[in-house]
Amino acid sequence: MKFVINFNIAQWRAWAPGLESVDDWQAWSRQPVVLPASDAAPDVSFLPAMQRRRLSRLARMAFSVGWPLAEGRPALPLVFISRHGETPRTFEILKDLAADLPLSPTQFSLSVHNAVIGLWSIMRGETSEMTALAATGDGLEHGVLEAAALLNEGSPAVLLVITEEQPPQVYAPWVDDVPFPYAVGLLLTPGDDWQLDLSAQADHSPGGDWPHALDLLRTLLNNETTCQHAWKNRVWTWQRNR
Amino acid sequence: MSDLHRDIKQLIIEALGLEDIGIDDIGDHQTLFGEGLGLDSVDALELGLAIQKKYGIKIDADAKDTRNHFSNVASLAAFVTAKSA
Repeated sequence: MKFVINFNIAQWRAWAPGLESVDDWQAWSRQPVVLPASDAAPDVSFLPAMQRRRLSRLARMAFSVGWPLAEGRPALPLVFISRHGETPRTFEILKDLAADLPLSPTQFSLSVHNAVIGLWSIMRGETSEMTALAATGDGLEHGVLEAAALLNEGSPAVLLVITEEQPPQVYAPWVDDVPFPYAVGLLLTPGDDWQLDLSAQADHSPGGDWPHALDLLRTLLNNETTCQHAWKNRVWTWQRNR
Repeated sequence: MSDLHRDIKQLIIEALGLEDIGIDDIGDHQTLFGEGLGLDSVDALELGLAIQKKYGIKIDADAKDTRNHFSNVASLAAFVTAKSA
């Protein structure tokens, strides 16, 4: 089975600790490195203090890349992608549970996977369709697929946000695909600048060095025309047509 | 401002993550929920939990007068004093 979808990447934004401007990302793309551990969080001072106080770093990352892309675009559907989600919050909740302590209602209500899109909807007064997905290592591509379906239904644009938080140290033996916390926002529009196709492979190839969303940034910034992301038996090929 | 009032204000700020507010910004009789400080229902649950933890008292969420105890810092202080007695 082979399938192909087409779309344009109208704009993008990305954030990681120490990487905020296009120039920062340009430098990283030329020579990608694992960033030093950091508690830094992006600036979301465009939100009122009462609204931003409960936002975790994951939420702040999502808002910081998504907000500027959504400016001036009312009724913008959102596809939110995170494989691991709010692991710092869920770990705090689990610690309280293990110690027989009552759970924090705030932590609990914001630990669910669609909490970020719920906050986005409330803060922007946005009632368009929104989806929160947790795929495996190829969440970026599953998100693009979801966005392409929305474009095909007639949306003039779809916002795709891919973000991962650094899981607490205790998860280190099992989670090895988050080199550092990051968020990437893509504003997708109808068109055929880009083509993404999926093909199957018999062997499970090892994943690439970088999460797919970060590797796509490298492709964009280095002006390459193609990149390939293999995950398990799925091979996704990105092709820039113009 | 009594020590208890001060402690409760500090608890509100810390438990609810009110990053831009100091204890002097919260009046003893200022309404906490809705109008006034502008806290919401999740804050009510979170504050109830914080009060129970800090002062070792039980709060019955269904009791009719619980809402009154949470109307401002002064009423919360009176409630904590009565419960701890």
